[in-house]
Amino acid sequence: MSWGPCFMYYHCQECKQKFKYATDLIPAFGDRFGLCPFCGKEGVFEKDGARTPDDMEYAEVEE
Amino acid sequence: MARKTIITVATTGAWPKKENNPNVPMTPQEIADDVYSCWQAGAAIAHLHMRDDEGNGTMSTEKFRETVTLLRSQHPDCDIVLNLTTSGDLNATDETRQAHLKELRPEMGSYDCGSMNWLNSSLFLNPPKFLEELGRNMQEWNVKPEIEVFDPGMIANAAYYLKKGVLKAPLHFQMCMGCANGIPGSMKNLVFMKETMDTLCPGSTWSCFGVGHCAMEMTYGAVAMGGHIRVGMEDNVMYAKGQLAESNRQLVERAARVIREFGNEPATPSEAREILGLGK
Repeated sequence: MSWGPCFMYYHCQECKQKFKYATDLIPAFGDRFGLCPFCGKEGVFEKDGARTPDDMEYAEVEE
Repeated sequence: MARKTIITVATTGAWPKKENNPNVPMTPQEIADDVYSCWQAGAAIAHLHMRDDEGNGTMSTEKFRETVTLLRSQHPDCDIVLNLTTSGDLNATDETRQAHLKELRPEMGSYDCGSMNWLNSSLFLNPPKFLEELGRNMQEWNVKPEIEVFDPGMIANAAYYLKKGVLKAPLHFQMCMGCANGIPGSMKNLVFMKETMDTLCPGSTWSCFGVGHCAMEMTYGAVAMGGHIRVGMEDNVMYAKGQLAESNRQLVERAARVIREFGNEPATPSEAREILGLGK
């Protein structure tokens, strides 16, 4: 049994953008994991879990 | 003669629903038709989960029976190897996780070789009592375990059960890469998993899949390292970034292309039976 990728969802208090990181990329991002990809500020964690249909509003941060 | 690479298709899994991808097969008829189409495209093994009428994962023997019956009756030319899950519902009992194997006697069944946290929210329990019982029952019922391992410790656990007689050599592993709480999917980690397997359980065969970003890396890596591969919407509902998979067949067709471009050939079900020693 597998369960697809797991994401952590954030918003940025600075620029108000929403974004998500796949947890399998924690090793790749290291200390940058959770930072806003738009302004570089630390994101505010909202929730985590499997990909959901309504998560398209969260930009997926990739390497 | 080209080396043969087995494609396993995991059509449905326990979590993705139509809202995640409308092309995920959910009903027995949809799954049976999907398996047939994937077999035509080159899949040699079908790893199957069932859903209840609300679309949730279930270990209902009735659903498994209906699906297998539909596949075999409507598509008698399809000789695909059936691999039925034993982990399709986190609330299932030890008994319901095995009842369909006892009745239907598929050639393969999954054997998750350890417990872990599921998506950081629930427990995916495979305690010693269950694994010992399942291993011995699978031997009695002539169902070959597909040993799903999510980290190297689970390979060590398989070696323990091999020594104890719960599992019988040669083992077949499914390396599950990039799942939450499991080993991250990278080439470095896949090499380590294979080396661990070669050390602890020499002579084993293995397959691999990666969820999310590492999916293609694990596919290419497994083919290059002499392993077999698993694809399907259980593991990935996306075909590529921003692109939903159109079907499981689409994922199988890509896997077959990768295998052929490398210089191998997708194994037929008969060849997969020979490679895995099924029925022996």
